[in-house]
Amino acid sequence: MKICIACGMPMKELSDFAGEDTSKDYCVHCARPDGSMQSFEERKTNMINFIIKTQGFDEKAATKIAENNMKKLPAWKEYFNIGD
Amino acid sequence: MKSKRQLQKENTKIKIFKTAYNIYSEYGFTATTAMIAKEAGVSHGTIFVHFSSVNELLTCLIESFGDNLALEIHDLAEKNDSIKKLLETHLNILSKHENFYIHLISEKSLIPEDVQMALVNIQSNFAFHFNRIIEREIQRHAVKSIPIHMIFNTWIGLIHYYLLNKDLFSPDEPLLKRYSSELIKTFLELIKD
Repeated sequence: MKICIACGMPMKELSDFAGEDTSKDYCVHCARPDGSMQSFEERKTNMINFIIKTQGFDEKAATKIAENNMKKLPAWKEYFNIGD
Repeated sequence: MKSKRQLQKENTKIKIFKTAYNIYSEYGFTATTAMIAKEAGVSHGTIFVHFSSVNELLTCLIESFGDNLALEIHDLAEKNDSIKKLLETHLNILSKHENFYIHLISEKSLIPEDVQMALVNIQSNFAFHFNRIIEREIQRHAVKSIPIHMIFNTWIGLIHYYLLNKDLFSPDEPLLKRYSSELIKTFLELIKD
């Protein structure tokens, strides 16, 4: 089973994949309307907003959670190694 | 094929993992690795052959519990199931790990910050699927139009209150087994449009 490289979601069904294309390594939630993968900043902002919307956390805490999540994901790992 | 030695090594790791889970479930996160080693019948140093630190062991345990929950909830959410089914699955998994989970939420401040993140991730993952189902239900006017985070926090708050006060609600038997259906029924009644 594939796991989305940009958010970690398991991708089992066709509808989980970006553009329903199983050759893609990222999921439908991490794709832009044109089908390409969201950038680091886009993904981070989306993740922060999503955490605030679904759990009501403070923005600072939500940012920390989003960053912690992203640094474990194959798509974003390198963003955290630079300047660490 | 794996050599006998490799298999033995894997078995020891599984044994440490399972023993650690049992020890933490029973004694909470103040339990020491010496206790785990003694119970697993291995030397203290053996634990650190398999896990580089206590933090790594703790993170592995919490993440494995989280993966368990995430997979079951993901399958369910994909099937477009009802809120009732989502809540039932949530409590069903928590009830399988009830003691471990109670220690996790009541001793959160005792566990190292990076390990705490593993717990936060579990809730975030559940919130993701909760959101999908609740949003759909709000749209079709089956659930009151209340901000999603308040619906989510009301649910988590309710079950955590019961779990944290297990000594008062259900001192002698598993709490969720006793209260799951009442908690779910009440919550659904409260959010119904």
